[in-house]
Amino acid sequence: MFMAALILILSTGLFFFYLQAVCQKILRRRFTQEFFQSIVNANRLEFPSVRKAIEDFGSPMEYPRLTLTLKCDFLALTYLLKNAANVNQRYTYEERLLIVYFKLVFASLVTRHWLKLRETAAALKLTAILEYFANVVGERVNTVRFGNLTASDYLLNL
Amino acid sequence: MSLVSNELLIHGLQYAGYALEGFICLRLVRGGRWRDHKGLCLYVTLLFALDGVARPTVLNYFGWASVQFRYFYWLTDVVLAMGAFLLTCGFFRRACTQEERLWRFVRLMLVFVFALVVAISALALTRHYTQLYTGFIVEFSQNLYFSCLVLNTLLFVMIQQLAIDDDELGLLVCGMGVQFAGEAAGLALYHLTFGEHAVQLVFSLLNPACTLGMLLTWIYAIMKTQEAAPARSQVGKQVVLAEAVSD
Repeated sequence: MFMAALILILSTGLFFFYLQAVCQKILRRRFTQEFFQSIVNANRLEFPSVRKAIEDFGSPMEYPRLTLTLKCDFLALTYLLKNAANVNQRYTYEERLLIVYFKLVFASLVTRHWLKLRETAAALKLTAILEYFANVVGERVNTVRFGNLTASDYLLNL
Repeated sequence: MSLVSNELLIHGLQYAGYALEGFICLRLVRGGRWRDHKGLCLYVTLLFALDGVARPTVLNYFGWASVQFRYFYWLTDVVLAMGAFLLTCGFFRRACTQEERLWRFVRLMLVFVFALVVAISALALTRHYTQLYTGFIVEFSQNLYFSCLVLNTLLFVMIQQLAIDDDELGLLVCGMGVQFAGEAAGLALYHLTFGEHAVQLVFSLLNPACTLGMLLTWIYAIMKTQEAAPARSQVGKQVVLAEAVSD
């Protein structure tokens, strides 16, 4: 009985650990260039400023603004992932997995706030996911051309 | 959820798994990459042949409640557990390609773990020596699966510690971890609740779902690295070209 309980706890922990490791491996994908910057500029996304605040001051902005910023960026990017230069108008499997991962990490951020623990690590993970989404959107948009301009150039020149 | 929809869900997950197993094999063979992934290719083929073809055939022939099917099921389970163990050994070998001394130590450790699993399972047989199947075969395959989970975790830690720059191997190990950990958790829950009906349903859903998770992770690993490889060589060509022009 004791052994079974121990195995249950250990293997459940390991199951979620491996799922997280898969997500982290997907996030580590190297893009040929930094596509996210043009998407951030064109859509006035704020997650880079959240990351900069953490890197410069060691802590994110005040909690309500932080959650609102991340949530809005997430909604904008998931919309773009599905609709911008996406012929199938569908998320891929890895995007679905990362969307679930974002929601779980966001829940952990909220829990950490209520337990008065440090939120920095969770906020950084969330910005990394958003950067990945922006890179994917940027990469897709970059392949579509409007005359002599790429789509991201076109968006920037609007 | 009704019984029919549960059955449909379980079968849907199983058939999706078989389709993915076929897809992985085809992808590796057609791309000529099976030589670099011999172990993986063999394991997936074995999984498909035993779980997707042989078990349903025996089930159709002898029936669900037959002794023959039960024996066949547990025997194939041992074969699959051995296959998983050998595949884990193969991943260890790949991780130690640059470290021959470390590989010698790891090889000894793997032999020791296997001998330990056989010894512990044999101990269970001596307690109930009349029950070869429940006493040894079942115990042996469960212990081997759990030791695979532990070894897989050690391998994952080793990859992180040695900073091995092999994203594909990392993803393959993670996929295997999802399968082993999910299965071990399901089995432990089953034992703790003495096989209650609701848990039985979770257990029968969890196994194919975890296999599906493992196969999807492996497909991602194989396809993304295959995509990245020509890109890298293209970059390499451009660098060579730029150097030639500058000379």
